[in-house]
Amino acid sequence: MTLASRQRAQVRTPVLFLSAAAWILLMAAPGSLGLSGHCTVTGLGAMLSLKSLRHLMALNPPGSVAVGWTLMLIAMMAPVVIAPVRHIRDRSFARRRVRAIILFVGGYAAIWMAAGVLLLAIVLVVRLAAPESLLPVALVAIVALVWQFSPVKQQCLNRCHAHPELAAFSPAADLGALRFGLTHGIWCVGSCWALMLLPLLVSRGHLAVMVLVSLCLFAERLDRPVPPRWSWRAPNKAIRIAIAQARMRLERG
Amino acid sequence: MAYTRKNVWELGGDWADPILWYARGVAAMQARPLADPTSWRFYAAIHGMDQQLWQQLGYLSSSEPMPDNTAVQRFWTQCQHGSWYFLPWHRGYLLAFEANIRAAVTKLGGPADWALPYWNYFKPNESNLPPAFASPNWPDGQGNNPLFVQQRYGPNNDGNVYVPLDQVTLDAMTDPDFTGVASGGDTGFGGVDTGFEHGGQTHGRVETQPHDWVHGLVGGGNPQNQQLPGLMSDPDTAGLDPIFWLHHANIDRLWQVWRQNPPAGVNPTDPNWVQGPGSVGERIYSMPMPDGTAWDYTPGSMTDLGQLGYSYDDLTPAVAPAPLSQRLLTLGASAAAVSAMKGVPAVTSGKNVELVGANQGSLSIQGSEARTSVQLDAGVRRRVARSLAMAAETTAPDRVFLNLENVRGLADSTAFRVYINLPEGANPADHPERLAGSVALFGVRKASRPDGEHAAQGLTFVLEITKIVDALHLNNTLDVDALDVRIVPVKPVPEAAQISIGRISIFRQGQ
Repeated sequence: MTLASRQRAQVRTPVLFLSAAAWILLMAAPGSLGLSGHCTVTGLGAMLSLKSLRHLMALNPPGSVAVGWTLMLIAMMAPVVIAPVRHIRDRSFARRRVRAIILFVGGYAAIWMAAGVLLLAIVLVVRLAAPESLLPVALVAIVALVWQFSPVKQQCLNRCHAHPELAAFSPAADLGALRFGLTHGIWCVGSCWALMLLPLLVSRGHLAVMVLVSLCLFAERLDRPVPPRWSWRAPNKAIRIAIAQARMRLERG
Repeated sequence: MAYTRKNVWELGGDWADPILWYARGVAAMQARPLADPTSWRFYAAIHGMDQQLWQQLGYLSSSEPMPDNTAVQRFWTQCQHGSWYFLPWHRGYLLAFEANIRAAVTKLGGPADWALPYWNYFKPNESNLPPAFASPNWPDGQGNNPLFVQQRYGPNNDGNVYVPLDQVTLDAMTDPDFTGVASGGDTGFGGVDTGFEHGGQTHGRVETQPHDWVHGLVGGGNPQNQQLPGLMSDPDTAGLDPIFWLHHANIDRLWQVWRQNPPAGVNPTDPNWVQGPGSVGERIYSMPMPDGTAWDYTPGSMTDLGQLGYSYDDLTPAVAPAPLSQRLLTLGASAAAVSAMKGVPAVTSGKNVELVGANQGSLSIQGSEARTSVQLDAGVRRRVARSLAMAAETTAPDRVFLNLENVRGLADSTAFRVYINLPEGANPADHPERLAGSVALFGVRKASRPDGEHAAQGLTFVLEITKIVDALHLNNTLDVDALDVRIVPVKPVPEAAQISIGRISIFRQGQ
């Protein structure tokens, strides 16, 4: 194992552990967290009205939804921030690494929490307007598909690969880490929002869709930035890695 | 058949047979259309291709038929820079190119054992461009010498092409490790292990010097418009210049020197290196051969030059790695303590890499000088000093590295030297002991594009400054809050080049 490989593992292992813990919580005890249907908003067989909205809010208290959304973010997004977290760790003083990472994550999470308000509001409206209907899911799937292959999405993905130079000393270092988290969060939301809506809208098979979307989001970060254009974007590199690494391990016996 | 690559300056004449046949082979490849995978320009595009730049430089017309998309996807823009694949990919690239030239040579009635010469610019009196490349004429006085390139401007942008010996170094040869890290410490003789990431940002040591430096200084920039590079200065055009191949033969030779001479360098055995980029989901190496087939190869298949049928006529080590004992003696260890050490490697490469200090804000490089100050963290600086003071006991003093992070700009022909703590008003040339190193920005233009594969992160260069820090420690001048860094460009840098260094930092690597 090379030194670089060890350094990568120093960040990757705890981050993946954190992600795995969130997945276990989501799978094992959604009820105990007060989340109806995991981190999604429960549907109602009701018409769009103030009364039904109140009912919906009662079934999905904002605190519980926030906890569910946070868990969902940790589970799904922790793996995709391994590279920026490593950049911060590598380029900060050893004594400041934890602080800088916390600030980065704080900025990143703030953007996703804000995005969560919008995304969950969309889900809420959809649930009120078209309860139990599959049409919204189909529409969002089409939007996600179009977004997935759009040049704007590629531009967002490209920006997600940007790891800026970081100030070393406070207060610039703190501000820099926070700013990095905020900007990375913005591009990450820009890249992922459409796919993230899918598990929020799906009541049945919610976790399975989450897993699929997570794999997709993680896989697309492995690809090189390319000039933005309409193009079919499949996780080819991730598949190639999986096959090559499996073959190498089999050959080593 | 065995092939021996020989020194171009020692072939027995400016137009000795091997170079004359090379010129004929080049002319034959140049006569083929771009769409032919064995053509000169197709082979250059395997290294890198920028249609707009090629058109600006007159190497592509807008109406010219391009190769089919399958061939482009398979072969073009493969070059491996800023990665531990740099040396093996270029070795295979050379072998395949050489096979194509040889096929052309033999077809013309030349020798079947023809091999590519190398240009060892380090040798005294051999740092000038070999004369066959400097003349627009064939030896009989006829024009159209295919080895001559108009867009080869040299270190002073005046067309006088040579490698200034005081600016090119073999420091990389002393590095004990092939593989390095991109986290601020040693980038290794061969480059950094980039894992599943595409890499390309942090150049390894032999890639930085002499590879990048010779590219930048031989190519130079168009004196009328420095954003138009000499062919050698830019990865997207470098393969168009016939001297490119002799330069890379020398880099390949240096890899063999590093491997063959004690203390022998050891190539990586990590499966991800041995199996190559294919193991990490990237494109496999593939080269078009003269018989119309494609040859795929891996780094693991490039490690044994003898088995590949090749040798060099001279593998004399140009520099001897300084043993650790010498450094320990310099740092004050007693001769008895040092002699008690047995089996200690030449230099230690600690597992702990951490930031010691950094400057504040981006540094713009314009004109003939730029300065900044690297503020040091008192605690980490003391840790470095302690490791140096206790060197004799631990036998593991820290190594120290200066990082030029996120270097961005538009002119690949930019090259500069970096000095630490030069006295005020001093002429940098009078203080080689303060020279941290020199870098040429080979690839910076592409690395600065927002939607390029480097996502506008630019390039990062790492220079070992252990000797300078040792000297500061011994002179009791390391106990300071900051170290001054002075950037001295080889040629004044125009504002239009937009060269900047995102951050300049210092890292320690030790226990």
